[in-house]
Amino acid sequence: MRLNDCDPSFKHEIARQPGGEGIKTCFACAACTARCPVGSLKPEYDPRRLLRLAILGRREEVLSSPLIWLCCSCQNCSEVCPQDVRCTDVLTAIKNLAAAAGYAPPSGQAMARQLAAHGRLLEVGEFENDKRAELGLPPVSEQPGDYQALLGLKPEAPRPAGEGA
Amino acid sequence: MHNRGPRRVGGCLEEIIFLSALDKPVLIIGGGVAGLAAALELDRRGLASLVVEKGPNLGGQARGFCCKALEVCARCGACRVGDLLQQAAQRPALGALTQALAVAAQRQGAGWEVTLIPQEGPKPTSPALALERPLGERLLVQTGAVILAVGHQVFDARKKSRLGYGRVPGVMTAGELEETLAKGGLPGQARRLAFVQCVGSRDQALGRLYCSRVCCGFALRLARLARYLEPGSEVTFFHMDVQDYGQAWRAELAEMRAGMRFIRAIPGEVRPGAGGPLAVFAGPDGQPQEEEFDLVVLATGLEPPVAAPALSEMFGLTPGAEGFLTGGQGVLVAGSAGGPRSIAESIESAAQAAASAAEHLVSGQAPSPEVAHA
Repeated sequence: MRLNDCDPSFKHEIARQPGGEGIKTCFACAACTARCPVGSLKPEYDPRRLLRLAILGRREEVLSSPLIWLCCSCQNCSEVCPQDVRCTDVLTAIKNLAAAAGYAPPSGQAMARQLAAHGRLLEVGEFENDKRAELGLPPVSEQPGDYQALLGLKPEAPRPAGEGA
Repeated sequence: MHNRGPRRVGGCLEEIIFLSALDKPVLIIGGGVAGLAAALELDRRGLASLVVEKGPNLGGQARGFCCKALEVCARCGACRVGDLLQQAAQRPALGALTQALAVAAQRQGAGWEVTLIPQEGPKPTSPALALERPLGERLLVQTGAVILAVGHQVFDARKKSRLGYGRVPGVMTAGELEETLAKGGLPGQARRLAFVQCVGSRDQALGRLYCSRVCCGFALRLARLARYLEPGSEVTFFHMDVQDYGQAWRAELAEMRAGMRFIRAIPGEVRPGAGGPLAVFAGPDGQPQEEEFDLVVLATGLEPPVAAPALSEMFGLTPGAEGFLTGGQGVLVAGSAGGPRSIAESIESAAQAAASAAEHLVSGQAPSPEVAHA
């Protein structure tokens, strides 16, 4: 590893993201790795290593790594961390930067398309709408175009008259 | 009473302060390593002092420490307590009140008037030295300067419950291992030993961001001693990084690295296993790993003394950054009351505090704070 290949501003960039502030206090004690359930299933996954690489400024290596998407957000690491790094939140910040840099994994991109097209990731059928009716909620339609408007993907459709907030 | 002339110290003529006008003793609060060293240094300068100790015996926490020498001295400093007590006992001008607690202080000119009250407590564990005398009744002491040498308290490992102390059999603090080794050997059939560093130090979640500085040294020396006493035992040393104590230490450390397993990780959890405490840690390959030990030793860090807030208020001192004591006008801090210090460093800082106290007595001026608790 050469210092010239490292970007010292990377950790500051992460720290500016919501939840990413903790990265600068990491002492690399590896309590997070010890308690990581992903690590015990996937040998290459080591949260301390990911945080270390980020602190060293290995921007491309971290953002393009498929490993950052494996965090299951169980918060075990945040619980054991003596330095309050909040490793899960730091990894979320890193994932947001990776997505902005175009490194979102195909499955994530597919989910984003689904969300944009349908407003949700799960299908809403008769069962869900019956439940909604029991609670006095209006049914959800299969093609709610205004979700796309909410996401800024198309101009806002005029609301039908009489529909309340 | 302290009117002395020049005398020879170490071959050179030392200027001695004439004390006829300065007949108030220096009050030293705390009779541990730092308090005793300060008293001896003042005595060397021809100044009287009164040591006030709240416990039943002089010597402080370091009295319970064990010698960590193998064939040769390990320079741990544990024996210095005995030396200091012996030296102090030979100085007729030294006085010490045990079971005495300073409860109030009032400024009086450049000095202080301090109220001492008798402290109920356990009976002395060892015969009193000639200079020790338990305080019988409330006492007012007028003093030209005060040296605070109240030491530190050790981090309560129960607060790190994940590491199993007080919950998992076979988990003990390094202090407890010291006591056991001082009595002669390893507890039971302990052959697989694990040392966990930075317990209660460098821990933002606990508000203890500082390094306690002494734990790497005493834990590794304890580990080496344990291996020496039980040649078959295996030591695993869980750490983040190892403190550097200078050139000689580096050579020792290289030897220790060869004989022990150094793992650069702190266990995330210690739980009861089939045959002893089971540690969960990140192995050298970066994967979670579980391993059973006979004994898990927690190197607990140094915390500010319990009395720090009360003393700060009593003497009008600004509390230090980490809660340790800082000095003020006519108030000096010695030893680990001012921050994590080893035995040798405590003695050194006590000598500085004594010198500053002497300076204060002569000039009535506060020594610069850097000198007071450097």
